[in-house]
Amino acid sequence: MRDIDDFTRPLEYISPMDGLLGSIFREWVEKEVLPYRRQFDEDYRDHHLIHPPFKKLLGEYGLQRMIFPEDLGGWGMGRSNYMCVAAFRMFEEIARADSGMALAFGALFWPFLFIALEPHENRRLLEEFAPMFCETTEPVFAALCMTEPQGGSDIENVEIVKGTTIQTTAVRDGDEWVINGHKLWPSNTGGLAKLMAVVCTTNPGSDDPRDIAVIFVKDDMPGVTQGPPYEKAGMAADMNSDIWFENVRVPLWYRAIGPGDDAKYFGEVMATGNMGIIAWISGAMMNIYERLTDYVNRKRYRGKPLKEDDGVAGLLADFAANIENIRIVGYQCARMCDRHDLYGPLWHPGLVAKMRAQRYLAMDRFIDVTGRVMNLMEAYGTDRDWDVEKHWRDLKILQLVEGSKQLCQIEVARWFYECETL
Amino acid sequence: MNGSEIIPFPRNRLDKADLDLASTLQAMVEKEIVEKRLELKEDHQGLLAPSFAKIMWEIGLQKMFWPEEHGGEGHNSPAAAYTVAAALEQIARADVGLAFLAAHSLALQASLTLDGQGGEEACAAFAPLFCSGDRPLVVSFILPAFAEEEGVPEWRGKGFQARAKKEGDAWRVSGKNIRPTCSGLDADLFGAWCAVEGEEPAFILIPGDTPGIARGKELKKTGLAASRNADLASLEAKVPGTNCAWRGDGGAFRLLSWYYLGLAATASGALLANYEIIREWGDNRVIKGKDHIFKDNPLTAALMGEVAKDTSVVRLLAYELASMLAEPDAFGGNGSQALYTAALMIAHQACASAEYVINRTMELMASAGYAKEWQLERYWRDVKAMQCHLGAYELAKHDFARWFYRTVTL
Ligand SMILES: Cc1cc2nc3c(=O)[nH]c(=O)nc-3n(C[C@H](O)[C@H](O)[C@H](O)COP(=O)(O)OP(=O)(O)OC[C@H]3O[C@@H](n4cnc5c(N)ncnc54)[C@H](O)[C@@H]3O)c2cc1C
Repeated sequence: MRDIDDFTRPLEYISPMDGLLGSIFREWVEKEVLPYRRQFDEDYRDHHLIHPPFKKLLGEYGLQRMIFPEDLGGWGMGRSNYMCVAAFRMFEEIARADSGMALAFGALFWPFLFIALEPHENRRLLEEFAPMFCETTEPVFAALCMTEPQGGSDIENVEIVKGTTIQTTAVRDGDEWVINGHKLWPSNTGGLAKLMAVVCTTNPGSDDPRDIAVIFVKDDMPGVTQGPPYEKAGMAADMNSDIWFENVRVPLWYRAIGPGDDAKYFGEVMATGNMGIIAWISGAMMNIYERLTDYVNRKRYRGKPLKEDDGVAGLLADFAANIENIRIVGYQCARMCDRHDLYGPLWHPGLVAKMRAQRYLAMDRFIDVTGRVMNLMEAYGTDRDWDVEKHWRDLKILQLVEGSKQLCQIEVARWFYECETL
Repeated sequence: MNGSEIIPFPRNRLDKADLDLASTLQAMVEKEIVEKRLELKEDHQGLLAPSFAKIMWEIGLQKMFWPEEHGGEGHNSPAAAYTVAAALEQIARADVGLAFLAAHSLALQASLTLDGQGGEEACAAFAPLFCSGDRPLVVSFILPAFAEEEGVPEWRGKGFQARAKKEGDAWRVSGKNIRPTCSGLDADLFGAWCAVEGEEPAFILIPGDTPGIARGKELKKTGLAASRNADLASLEAKVPGTNCAWRGDGGAFRLLSWYYLGLAATASGALLANYEIIREWGDNRVIKGKDHIFKDNPLTAALMGEVAKDTSVVRLLAYELASMLAEPDAFGGNGSQALYTAALMIAHQACASAEYVINRTMELMASAGYAKEWQLERYWRDVKAMQCHLGAYELAKHDFARWFYRTVTL
């Protein structure tokens, strides 16, 4: 019988850890997540059910260490040239069960992209934070705080808006930063995050990218308050909340890289973030394929299994064709993020634009074809027990985070047509 | 800005009573639902069930069609189609699920009571249930669906979920693992479209308290919280002969045409609410950090323009369907395949457009569109769930082909 492993991956460049990671994640998903995921929506506030699988994956299996250098107790993936293809496989496997978990897992590493990658590794900060993540079997979450009440896209739109809208301020006072501001939505907040990277301005209203600062803040520092988790259409396994910083004092060296570079390397989060979204889409679609296959084998129309109807088969083909396409494109994106020698630096606006292009296309296709599949399943398409509706609800946000669809379009047009005012 | 005022519809074709009913409903749902929404969210007992009671019982949609001699309001000419559209739109603006439930009741009333149609016996038998009880009546349908077993009798390609057999003067209706269209947990009256061996199918009304209905547990689902659905693990019910409302396809086409009008009007109402939400967002949100008001950005304004265009088209289509049902003879007659096909087309178009439009509106609102606090995401879930209940579009296309191309084996 065919299964999800029959969808193509570019075997030429999967990571050396692929087989091992794949089997660990597959087993974890089957045992720790799939049996419980239908109850996750109601667990959004407490994570009673969501926490135990995270404990196993992040703490006990130690996945939260993977980006840290080996000599600090990590797995050294930040220094490899296969970090993204390896991540793609992991993301797909998790998102097959729950893309909220996949987002929370991926977002955990966003802050460390600023300090763990060459050529801007920040050894002092890695030494500072590695023990929190590498010397425990408890899950530890981190968050990247960008979005503010007046808008997230503007903050991500560094190239044009240049940080002018950032309201969270970092003021130098002796050998400390004093941070004040209000962020919304970071993944892994709502009380979860133990460490945050906060996007601030050192000069409010300035359009000089050197004034954009990414500064690390620990949750237990005085003045940090995480609000209660938001209630959302889906993605219960990713906790999000308001977060306030009131006169939070951190050492000066908690700044990620330095003036100009914090803004420049922001692009790395955008490139890998958009690549990750494609992996989450691919993983979720493979699970929908599994559930859909079950459905069209079981249900009958005009005396035959539903899948044997030529008209229905047209839609089934569209769904499979989209997985085939999105998966191959996604792996190619991961490869482009890994091989700077071939595709240029990870932060580069051209690479970011290409990742955004593939991500928004993949998302549009997901929305179209999954909507049609739900409809084919009639009332069962809306049924929690059939899982398709969960993926449909969960994934919609992937069109809206990390810069909305329209920001993606603008950045793609800006790059490919050399627009100057967009 | 109230979407009902600015989004076009054929106001000239509605009479004063329709417009008055629409404004009564508008005021009522504002007070009873919209104002309580943030606190009560989708609470069935606290918000949705009491609101349904107000709409159906106090405002009286439940008595609307029944003849006066049976305690109803006697609004049972085909022109009532406009009333249905105007009422459901306003209910859906506040809650799609409530409009979806009301659409069931109104379609059944219309199919039983419209001038010159059969089912007088059922009408006399059932009017008291609707008109002289002391609470709202939740109506649900049992329609053909994809079967899992071989040999299940089919209607237009799908398996009947229930079979009926005459036993003297009574009907015995049976089935198992039935998925009703709504409210399996709460329904007071099921209308089941049943296979009858060797004969024409029969539409049989089964009161919810009839012995032999085994209701399963409430299903968790995407949306339509007002409808607490559950499968009927088994159905083995005996009902009087008068509970058979009609035999043969004509009645089913009639019922479904009115039901589809309800769904199209509900989609239109959801889009009116969607328009109101995005309009407020567009007036107040600033992007690109330069006092750049959202609605003045060419890219987002274009999308907002498309939202308004599709909302208007869906609204006009829903009222167009009302006008077809109001003058059925011009379109093949009440209960004709022609009218049924048109109704099905319009309902699908309305639901697909609603899904598309709300999806795009969510893009415009980014995370706010996804957060429950902003309300938009509820319309997105509800409209999608309603579209799924309408039936598979891939197969509806066969219905269109059957009629327009006179297909032979399809
Ligand atoms: C589950 C989830 C997880 C999240 N995780 C994080 C996280 O880890 N960290 C974090 O900081 N944030 C996070 N967010 C927030 C998310 O990244 C932002 O919501 C997103 O960037 C959009 O910002 P916004 O919601 O403020 O909308 P806005 O920025 O106000 O945008 C609204 C709409 O305006 C339009 N628009 C905006 N700018 C432009 C432009 N330049 N050109 C054309 N159109 C434009 C688009 O249509 C857009 O959809 C998360 C959100 C969710 C729901």
